[in-house]
Formats: sequence, C-alpha cells, structure tokens
Amino acid sequence: MVSTFIPRTLQEALAIRRETEAHPFAGGTDLMVAYYRGVGVTPVFPWPVMLISGLEELKGIQKDTQGNVIIGALEISAHIAENPLVPWHVRQAAGRMGAISLRNQATIGGNIGNASPKGDLPATLILLDAMVELQRVGAKRLMKVDDFILATKKTQLAPDELITKVIIPEPQKEFTYVWYRKIGTRRANAISKLSLSAAITLSEEGLIEDFRASSGAAGPKVERSREVEKLLIGRDIHDIEKLLPSFLDAYDTVICPHAMPEFRRLSTRKMLQYFLLQCVKRPQSQIII
Amino acid sequence: METKIDFTLNGKKVSVTSDPMRRLVDVLRDDFSLEGTKEGCGEGECGACSVIKDGLLVTSCLVPIGAVQDSEVLTIEGLSETERGKCLSEAFADGGAVQCGFCIPGMMMAADYLLMGNPHPSETDIRLGISGNLCRCTGYDLIVESIKLASERGQGLW
Repeated sequence: MVSTFIPRTLQEALAIRRETEAHPFAGGTDLMVAYYRGVGVTPVFPWPVMLISGLEELKGIQKDTQGNVIIGALEISAHIAENPLVPWHVRQAAGRMGAISLRNQATIGGNIGNASPKGDLPATLILLDAMVELQRVGAKRLMKVDDFILATKKTQLAPDELITKVIIPEPQKEFTYVWYRKIGTRRANAISKLSLSAAITLSEEGLIEDFRASSGAAGPKVERSREVEKLLIGRDIHDIEKLLPSFLDAYDTVICPHAMPEFRRLSTRKMLQYFLLQCVKRPQSQIII
Repeated sequence: METKIDFTLNGKKVSVTSDPMRRLVDVLRDDFSLEGTKEGCGEGECGACSVIKDGLLVTSCLVPIGAVQDSEVLTIEGLSETERGKCLSEAFADGGAVQCGFCIPGMMMAADYLLMGNPHPSETDIRLGISGNLCRCTGYDLIVESIKLASERGQGLW
C-alpha cells in the first residue's frame, strides 16, 4: 500500500517531501475526483500522499508594508472571495469557482499547482503579475505564476518543494477600469469554457498607461502576451476604434484554443472590444460589466 | 497503513482507525451507520453528501478521513437533534419540499449553513445557497420556499 503522511508542521512536511517526494494533498477537489473508484471504495493514488490541509503556517491573508497581498497556499477560495485585501479580479474568480462547498475546500495553492488551463485563479494571478513562493528544506525561491505554470498539468515545482505563498504586488497605480468574465454552462459548479480578465489604467487625458489581459481555458495554459499589450500602452484611448482591428488580430495569435476554437476566438474578440469601447466612454464605475 | 483519527462527530468525541485516504462519506455511513449522508455523484458536484466540517459546508466525498483529525463534523443526524434542525425539517415537511428525499439531507445542511451566515436570506440568496445541491426531482421551488419558511419561523435560532 502507498503511504500517507499527515504532517503537523511545515518543517515536518518539507522533510517528508524531501525524503519521499509525497504528493501534497490540500482540499482534494481535484485529486479525490481524479482517483475516485466508486461508492465505499478508498481512492488509491499512484504516489505517496501528504495531507497538508491542517498546516496553519500556510493559511492567512495579509498585506505587507510594500502593499503586496500575501495569501497562504492553503487559503480556500471562500476566504479569498470575501477578503477586502485581495484584489478585485482574484476575488471575482474565487467567488465563482464551483459552488459553496467546493469554495470551502479548494485552495489557491492547489489551483495553481494543478496547472489546469481552466483554473480560475491563475488567470487573474497572471494578470496581476503575482508570484509563488516555493519552499524546500532550508531554501525558498520566488517566481511569477506565469513562469511557474509551464503547460497543462506541468509546473516548475521540484519534487522536494511545496507551494507556500502567493504574493500579489500592488499595481503602481490603481486600475481605472477592470473586467472579469467567466463563461460556463451554469452559475454553479461549472468549469470555465472561457474566461477573460482585463485591466486598464488611463491618464486624465485618456492616455493608456497600463493595459493587461489574460485568457483562461483558451490554450494549454493561461495565455497572456505582454508584447501584444504593448500595442495599446502609450496610445490614446480615443483612438481605440482605429487601433482595435490590429490589436484584436494580434491578441488572436496569443490564444490557441484546442477545442471550439471559433467560439473561443470570437468570444474573446467580442469581450476585449466591448471592454475597450466602454473605457472610451469613461463610465463612473471602475467595474465594467 | 491504518491511522487512528480522533474527531468530534455531532458533538461527541469519537475515534476511528482507518486508511487515512478513506472518504469521510464512507466512514460516516459504514463505520458510524450515519446513513443520512448520501452519496450521489462522488465528485463534489451534487451536494448530497454535504456535512459541516469546522463550521464550513463541505462535500464529504472529497474529504479523506485523515484530514478530519481534531475537526468537528456535523451531519444531518446531528443537525436534526438541534432546534435549528427541527425548524428546518418541519418547514421542509410543511412546505412540501420533499419528493424522493435523496437530496434533502444535503439541502438541509446547505440551508443551515446559509442561515448561519444570513438568517434572513432573499430568494436569490437561498438559490445561491443551495446552488451546489442537485435535486433530480427538480423540486427546487418548494425547497426554496421551505427554506424561506424556516428563516421566518426560526427567529433567533440562527
């Protein structure tokens, strides 16, 4: 039988990870489904498992003195969705994952580590240039979530490391307008068919100081292109109608949907176009719906 | 590899010696004969196996028993013995919420969890509150009305 470990502290967990490479198991909302064997039957995993949901050191949501929001890897979606310290995009994504019970179990570390292109939190974390902290016995390293997730189910996590924190940097200037849309088959318990997170910062005169967009469920990982974003940065929002065709064509090359590409490409274009055209009107509300 | 797991079940200290990866739903039904907790889908989608663990509504089909060490678990049997549970089951009976009944324990757990955080929910709040619970008889309207009835009757219970 494959071993199961229940560490009491992070140090113990890291030691177990180093010695056995046991697979971290947090909320179980992906792993218990993947290894389900039927009613009354205990799931069997192909590797040793370490139950980490009790590690208090990996919980909590704080803001540090530099304005970074730090979320423990074991924080559940329900807490992330309701915490006012957490940036809007991430709260939106957290609040629309699954249903209440799933949001009470699923963790941010698991959603990143699972590396599904449909994972809702990574799409918003990548938009915000969030970092993950990875720990092994005696060492820590930080990297962007965007770099950490390599492809579907592939990350840079070493066999002796655990995801310990997510760090979301404060934007240099508050976004003028924000957008988040998740398209699923129904409101609850739907896996994203497509998502788009976007944000823009405009000067008083309408100069685009910052623009970002990331697409979930539109390729083998969350897709974001800083090169394509640069097509709009520094331009005047009032020229957006002229800029849109070439920008939308360029964004089209960023996403590479495998299934239903026409639906995903057309819906992404429509959402980007709608968001940017709304920004020209300078509505009162920061949230574009 | 069996491990001894101690936890509080419906207010009583209990322990079970088990493979830590056994699912909480199986332990509740097979070891404690608490068969009110149903298994529908086995993948966290239907809400029939809902219990409240450490104050949070969870689907017990996704919880390994090893993750229940030192936790407090409330099942439909425990809820039914409380004034809140009695109020809910009377409201469900009077409101005609129950058809085949399979989803009802999970619906009552979700309703109790909702009312704990929001004692006077709107219809939308109630629909969102039970959005993780499927009723294959599709009797949602009467369930929603019954939860509304419980919230009106149960002044001060939640």
